[in-house]
Amino acid sequence: MNIIERITKGDENISDNKSNLQKITLEKLRANPIPNSKNEIWRQTNKSKFSRFLNYKFSNDFYYPQIPGHSKIENICRIFIGENKKVNLKERNWEIKELDEKEILKFLQQKIFKSDDTKNWSNLLNHFLTDKKNIVGLNISGKEIPHLEIICNSINNFFNSKTLIIKIEEGTSANISQINIGDKNSALSISSYINIGEESVVNHGIISYGKNSSHIISTLNVSQHKHSEYNLGSLQFEYDFGRLEININQVEGNAKTNIKGIQITKNNEQISTYANIAFNGPNGFLDQLNKSLANDRSHSVFEGLIIVPQIAQRTDASQLSRNLLLSNYAKIDTKPQLEIVADDVKCMHGATISQLNEDEVFYMRSRGLTLEQASQLQLRSYYQEIISFLPISKERWDLLALLLKDK
Amino acid sequence: MESKKEIKQTLLEISNLFASTENLTILKGVNIKINSGEIHAIMGRNGCGKSTLSKIIAGHPSYEITSGKIELCGNDIEPLEPEERAQSGIFLGFQYPIEIPGVSNLEFLRVATNARRKFLKKEELDTFEFEDFVKEKLDIVKMDSAFLSRSINQGFSGGEKKRNEILQMALLEPKIAILDETDSGLDIDALRIVASGIKKIANENSGIILITHYQRLLDEIKPDFVHVMADGKIIKTGDSNLALELEKNGYDWTDEFINKN
Repeated sequence: MNIIERITKGDENISDNKSNLQKITLEKLRANPIPNSKNEIWRQTNKSKFSRFLNYKFSNDFYYPQIPGHSKIENICRIFIGENKKVNLKERNWEIKELDEKEILKFLQQKIFKSDDTKNWSNLLNHFLTDKKNIVGLNISGKEIPHLEIICNSINNFFNSKTLIIKIEEGTSANISQINIGDKNSALSISSYINIGEESVVNHGIISYGKNSSHIISTLNVSQHKHSEYNLGSLQFEYDFGRLEININQVEGNAKTNIKGIQITKNNEQISTYANIAFNGPNGFLDQLNKSLANDRSHSVFEGLIIVPQIAQRTDASQLSRNLLLSNYAKIDTKPQLEIVADDVKCMHGATISQLNEDEVFYMRSRGLTLEQASQLQLRSYYQEIISFLPISKERWDLLALLLKDK
Repeated sequence: MESKKEIKQTLLEISNLFASTENLTILKGVNIKINSGEIHAIMGRNGCGKSTLSKIIAGHPSYEITSGKIELCGNDIEPLEPEERAQSGIFLGFQYPIEIPGVSNLEFLRVATNARRKFLKKEELDTFEFEDFVKEKLDIVKMDSAFLSRSINQGFSGGEKKRNEILQMALLEPKIAILDETDSGLDIDALRIVASGIKKIANENSGIILITHYQRLLDEIKPDFVHVMADGKIIKTGDSNLALELEKNGYDWTDEFINKN
């Protein structure tokens, strides 16, 4: 039974054990079993790839994935979603403890009730499908916390669904990397929630790394409180169908958000990023750069929206989309947008689509570099800006070498 | 006993070269021969084809040789890609050196140097060896090592960009260096540094072509031959006194020459 049938016709075997949250989300999904293709954030979606995403057989099972990079690195706290292991770590300066089940369900229900169902389909689907074994909820506090690495993976020939909730207590500094690993011929739904307390700093990296015919919908929902700083680096590649939805809410303004992301497509892949950044208080700051690199016959999509209501005076926001087309048959769609009501703000947005610069290439070739070496150096610089923003060390995973080797 | 002149080797020979871009013929029969140890200056008005000639020698893909020949040490270079020409010993110093954001100058220089060294069958240099090697050369153009850690030419002043070009020339040890308006945009002090660097690099086994509008570079580097270019060809060749004549009389006479011929 595919996912849509489960929504429309029900699945008696599973519905008995469903949580309240699953029942609520099922009801909401029944009103809109599939996203409306006229909706701006679904308009560019490749229907056949999306259909394949939904057609895998659902599974709650967990298998340990092969961890990319050098996995045996010290001072990393690694958590696999679905492993069902207790996490309660405490040192003098910090603590990572699990949220209890009631707290998790209450948190997610609140989020569901507050959101617009037509724009929240991916999260609704995730919460309908994810059982409690595949939800990880953490409360993090303190300083000098070891790097937290969260692994989220799909299984060959199956659809897996996972949820991650992280509450960052006031005055905390944390480095978190989330590695979404797609097995070949698989689908993964992952919804992440990060609630950042006042005066906290979070450096977050999301790496979505697929294999042949991996499919993923990853949503990221961040709430930032006063004087917090959230730095997000994202990298998506090797997915036949990849979609990252970023929703950031500066709940009271007076917070800082920096985002640098890149999506790399080749063959016939489609990878999209949708970013919705809302300022709900004054003096908010955003600096977002989204890059894409499209080769062969692939399709890359970026849609961004910055929302600045009347209350968000003195917001300073920038959203740029820079794109590189490496093939005449590849396609890039990009649309950074602003929705501003407040009058005392500094907001800018922009998009560029270009090919490798011929003058630069000739300059390097005139010094003896082959076309391949010249292109590699250019790509290195293109990737480096994003890679260096990810909170992942070169020793843990040399992403730059991986990407250059791949090209 | 052989004289010094007799053992000179012909490094670059251009014969009756015609070239075009976008169906527009720019070079209309250029002939020039550069021997080892010689410095040639090519002068002429804007648009006469000087820079085009330099780009064609370097293999710029926007230009097409329609007839004629360019030989480096007796070998036709037309079939060679730009990088193969550079590896063989052709160096073009750009009039407007390109800025390449994000690409480390040091890494670029190392890859370029190793490409040339590989051709010369010399051992390639690793990062540490190259740092020592490049630091020796920095002094030639009085460049600070901080420039190495920056992106290629990004944020460099006009003078710094030109010095970076001469640094590359020093690293690559070309057989033929074509310096396209290396003096443009330089103040007197920067001009002297650049000229002094070129003189230090020049040797009996290589040749240099200086493309310039002005005598001031030639005051610093005395050429063996001066060629005047007009309408896509060399119309007059002389010694360094020809440059002084041009400085005094300008290029109006070249129009008359072209009209007559």
